[in-house]
Amino acid sequence: MSSTLYAALLQSIRAHAPQERHEADLPLTISQRRAEAMLHVVHDLGGQPDGPLDKSLHKTALWEKRTHCTAECLAWRGVWVSEERRRRENDLGETLYFGTPYYARWLLAAAKMLIDKGHITPDELIAKMEEVRAREEDAA
Amino acid sequence: MSKFEIGDRVTVRNLPALFHTRTQGYTRGHTGVVVGLRPKWVIPEDEAWGRYEGRREPFYMVRFNQRELWPDYGGAVIDTLETEFSERWLESAAAENTAGKTP
Repeated sequence: MSSTLYAALLQSIRAHAPQERHEADLPLTISQRRAEAMLHVVHDLGGQPDGPLDKSLHKTALWEKRTHCTAECLAWRGVWVSEERRRRENDLGETLYFGTPYYARWLLAAAKMLIDKGHITPDELIAKMEEVRAREEDAA
Repeated sequence: MSKFEIGDRVTVRNLPALFHTRTQGYTRGHTGVVVGLRPKWVIPEDEAWGRYEGRREPFYMVRFNQRELWPDYGGAVIDTLETEFSERWLESAAAENTAGKTP
């Protein structure tokens, strides 16, 4: 990654990070109530306070269809099941869970699962991502 | 053998949720009526963690009055909600009452 690209990435990450930090960001202890709130299961949304629901229809993109197919094929080959995928989406943590699109969560969960179970290595995945990025850049 | 029959009043066990759940928080501690029986399947507590041949239990479709679930529910009195539970998450509402507990 060039230094210009890296600087741009840093900018973007900074925009998502808290603007101020407090001692309490690294607490040694927290209250029981706070612990319960922190441990709230992210996908259990019913009854949570929230704004109006956006019900506009979204046209499924090709990458989303491919993600769905990949997840189903992995299940078909016995590598995982959908219930495990949902648990793994929760395990991404709140920042990624709420900060990424629906099918991106599937994709991240699938990638981590394949690494966890030893089907691929992180360096193989990184090399592949780089290969695809270069290919797309050439095509553009 | 299923523990509950259609028509039985059941209360959802009010246990903490940890990491992943199929038992919605808003149903915990609430009482509804069994309206459907589902074949045995691997419980989410096993399936979600990769134990695909884990413990199998009957599942039940339970119907709640919306007003039972949401104290400030603004819709019609007859509105209901149905959702599914594995057997371990349900207890007989009658037994709960004789034990003198409040849901």
